[in-house]
Amino acid sequence: MIMPYVLIIMGLVGFMLLSSVVMSFLDDRGKFTFQNYASIFKDSVFYKSVLNTCVWVVGSVAGQITLGLVVALLLMQIRYGQVFFRSVILILPWATLDIVAGVMWRWMYNDMYGVLNDILVKIGLSKSYIPWLATPRMAMLAVIIANIWKGFCLSGMFFLAGIQTIPQELYEAAEIDGANAFGRFWNITVPQLRPVLTTTLMFTIIWTINYFPLIYIMTGGGPNYGTETVVTYIYRLSFRFLEYNKAAALSNVLFLVVFTIAYLFTRKMAKEVAA
Amino acid sequence: MRRSTKRKAVRIISYVLLSFIAVVVAFPFIWLVLTSFKTYEEIYSYPIIYLPKSWTLEHYQKISSLDFHRYFLNSVIVGTGTMFLSLLIGIFPAYAFSRYSFRGKAPLLVSVLIFQMFPMIVFLVPMFKFLDKVGLLDTHFGLILAYIPFTTPITIVFLRSFFLSVPRSLEEAALIDGCTRTKAFFRIIFPVTLPGIAAVGVYAFLFAWSELLYSMSLLISKRLQTIPTFLSVFVGQYQTRWGPLFAGSVFATLPPLVVFILLQRYFISGLVSGAVKE
Repeated sequence: MIMPYVLIIMGLVGFMLLSSVVMSFLDDRGKFTFQNYASIFKDSVFYKSVLNTCVWVVGSVAGQITLGLVVALLLMQIRYGQVFFRSVILILPWATLDIVAGVMWRWMYNDMYGVLNDILVKIGLSKSYIPWLATPRMAMLAVIIANIWKGFCLSGMFFLAGIQTIPQELYEAAEIDGANAFGRFWNITVPQLRPVLTTTLMFTIIWTINYFPLIYIMTGGGPNYGTETVVTYIYRLSFRFLEYNKAAALSNVLFLVVFTIAYLFTRKMAKEVAA
Repeated sequence: MRRSTKRKAVRIISYVLLSFIAVVVAFPFIWLVLTSFKTYEEIYSYPIIYLPKSWTLEHYQKISSLDFHRYFLNSVIVGTGTMFLSLLIGIFPAYAFSRYSFRGKAPLLVSVLIFQMFPMIVFLVPMFKFLDKVGLLDTHFGLILAYIPFTTPITIVFLRSFFLSVPRSLEEAALIDGCTRTKAFFRIIFPVTLPGIAAVGVYAFLFAWSELLYSMSLLISKRLQTIPTFLSVFVGQYQTRWGPLFAGSVFATLPPLVVFILLQRYFISGLVSGAVKE
């Protein structure tokens, strides 16, 4: 009964991996070479994309985790309207298609007709219209904000479920001992949520590294490679520059990094369980 | 007395904050819907017009004249295929993981978890070449085949957690009564976990529904393409046709939105038990 899984899925994945590895060691004429890997590490766009990926991941993950935690904590405080708030805050961004989220934000960021600039000027947060997607730095900030919107719902759901498993007695006991709200949060909620936090962190980091459509739609990696992450660069190498073998080499490097991150996290989790 | 007033204050503050967050989070989508009903003059008006003065359906007519329903149908086909194939492949390993111990169980389970972490882009070119070689490039089945390595692992993780939540004693009672294993599965486990199975299936469906990268790369003929590709055509490097793009976006988002809201209980419990308790 497990055979279909082993044959089809593992077979397919194994074959893809293998062919990616083989491709990465071939030159244009099909001869063995290390050139693809060498050319990556000589490529200045590669280093830029690595740096961008770090900024993109740190910004997005920090925002998503914080917002997710805040929403989960707030949702636990209320009695009525849970389903309503959950639907609007957590489900709506989740259900929005990647491409829809991309174009929607791109339109809101429009420097002339975008609603974001209009609102910011009206409430006095900005004196003039900001050209959001025109400079590398602002474009990076813009895609990170959009990604926080799109992705915080997942960490929100994880935390919501995690908080529900914390025994209420802990809070009651702490309250009797005179702990204030912050003390209860810091000494009960945070340590109790540790395992959930670790898993959530791992998933969000890996998903954010791999997440492609939002940047592709909003900026296409520009301006001037300002939002080019490793993933969008692989896409550009394959489908714009048609350098399949170099793209395969970069893919394998990316895969190794993702794998290492997952390995480190799972080892840490195993240790926590054992301890 | 003081404690209960304090509680009340916390609750009110929570409502206020949640309402504020809800407005901010919902705003982009509301803006999208509003824009889809504006004429081009209003879309490109300066200063910005918030509510359309004359609600127009021109963009909705435009997309229907561009055969939106065909892309919609293609998306339904690919989504349904992905759903059934990943359930078909995933349901038995999930059951086995939840009930038996067998040689290679641990590495298999680890493989499931690792597959969830593969960057989709890494397999794009190999998949393209593979499908081309076996003659499935530019077919719905080929795209479905390309999706299942990404949907089946999560299917297994979800389903396993649903199966684990069913007490073993249920099946054991059936086995004692003379049921075979297969019969016990279909008579007892399957009905009990059906809502969960449905939710997982819908999850796979919606994965295919919203996926852009593979669908735009692996389907070349226009008549086969899915909604995300349809939408991406309106996005230009220099000029984007916002009206039809947003009208199509509204239609594309409605099905997942409705389904997610209706089934949120199962999604959240499945997602969480899969990821959190692992």
